[in-house]
Parts: sequence; structure tokens; C-alpha cells
Amino acid sequence: MTREELARLFSEQRFIVPMRAKNKDEVLEELLDTFVREGLIRNRAIVLEMLHKRESLGSTGIGKGVAIPHGRSTAVPDVSIAFGRSAAPIDFDSIDGKPAQLFFMVLAPPQELNSRYLPALGRLVELVNESKNRKRLLAAESFAEFVAVIKGEE
Amino acid sequence: MVKKQLELLVALQDLDMMIREVEDVKQLGFETPSLDKLEKAREELREKIGKPLYATYERLKARYKRAIVPVKDDTCLGCFMRLPTSLAARGREDAEVITCENCGRILYWLE
Ligand SMILES: [Zn+2]
Repeated sequence: MTREELARLFSEQRFIVPMRAKNKDEVLEELLDTFVREGLIRNRAIVLEMLHKRESLGSTGIGKGVAIPHGRSTAVPDVSIAFGRSAAPIDFDSIDGKPAQLFFMVLAPPQELNSRYLPALGRLVELVNESKNRKRLLAAESFAEFVAVIKGEE
Repeated sequence: MVKKQLELLVALQDLDMMIREVEDVKQLGFETPSLDKLEKAREELREKIGKPLYATYERLKARYKRAIVPVKDDTCLGCFMRLPTSLAARGREDAEVITCENCGRILYWLE
């Protein structure tokens, strides 16, 4: 998956800077609610439960201040991603024990024809592993600036 | 909380999907140490769902991989057969388990 293709999975309606959430549960709900508000998800409870089950398997806080809660649900119509940034770092049980500030929520249906879910997740992990990108994501003030970082534009 | 029969089935299918993908997400750099927690959650769901319905789910899963399929524009996305419009209003309630007359898969309305 190219970064151009990855960028297309985001939307301005699913971009929250700054977030209101103060803890891990609130982060999950605030991001999920952007999908609900956009009318992408009819049954919020099912998807929220899936996300909590996913976190019980092991935190999606991958360290370096980034968390990527993700999962597939029958109640999700298409692969899409939400982004949120909190002003203050939030404890997310991350693997490095440090709190997170950059949050990506990746949702997908159980099976999709062009299988973009795992490639999108992989691309995202790769992208945030570069400290240059993390710095830019922490500084992005608008959705346009954010998308430029995802696309890799200078 | 998820409590209706159909919602429990959807939760079960989501869980099965997650269990199947543990290795894939591990390779991407996510830690997944607590697989036993998912297995336990699956057991609990299985008990709540009850034997006959669970057996239907397993039978469909063995045959089609996915037991529960979405409905879009009144069409079963498992076999692409058009469903009677009268079903749609009932389907959106999630109150009952509705199956496709043609392929037998359990239907889930996305919109
Ligand atoms: Zn069908």
C-alpha cells in the first residue's frame, strides 16, 4: 500500500486535535464516535466491545507515544482510520510503559475484496516508527497538514 | 453491552477473526501475549449463545468461512441474492436472527 492510498483511508470528520479524552477508555470511545457520527457504524456497542477485547489481548500502544487500536468487526462496512492527538500524554498500557499522545484507530470488516486492512496497519506502524514523522504529527495543526505527513510530502 | 442473540453472534465472529489474525498482527509489531483471555471470552460467548444457534454458526463457518454476512441494498453479500424488502425493517432491529433464504448465512444489516 502506498502512502497516497493510506492517506485516502482518513477523513477530516475523523480527525480530532485536540482530543477531550483523559484515559484509555475515553480515547477508544472518542475515536470510535467519529465513525458513528459519520454514519459508518450502526451498532456502536458491538464495535466498542471488539476494541476492548482487542486491548485485552495486548495493548495496541506500540511505544514512543503512539497507539494504534485496531480490529475487524462484522459491524464495520469498510476499512477506515481515525486520528486523534491529545494535548497531554495518556496512559495506554503501552509496551514501553510510556504514555501516548498520537492515536490511530483502524477499523475494517471481516473480509474485504482488496484486503487493505493488514497492509494499512503495517504502513502506519512503519510511518510512526520514524521520529521525523512523529514530530510532524505532533505539530500538525490542520487536517491538510496531517495528510501531508501521511503522504510523505515535505 | 452486547446482549441480543445476533449481537452475540457478531461478537463471536469478530473474536474468531481476531484469534485467527493474532500471528499477522504480531508480525506487524503488536504484542499479543494474552490469547488465553480471548479463548476464555469465546467460551463465555458460546455459553450465552446456547447450543442450537452455536451449532448453526459453526456449521455455516465450516461451509462458508464467514457465518454472518452483511446486507447492502437489500442484497445478501454472501450469495448476492436480493432479499424481500419486508425483511429489512426487522433486520435493522438486531432483535432476531435472520438467515438468507438462498444460502442460509446469518444476515447483518450495516445501515
Ligand atoms: Zn445469501
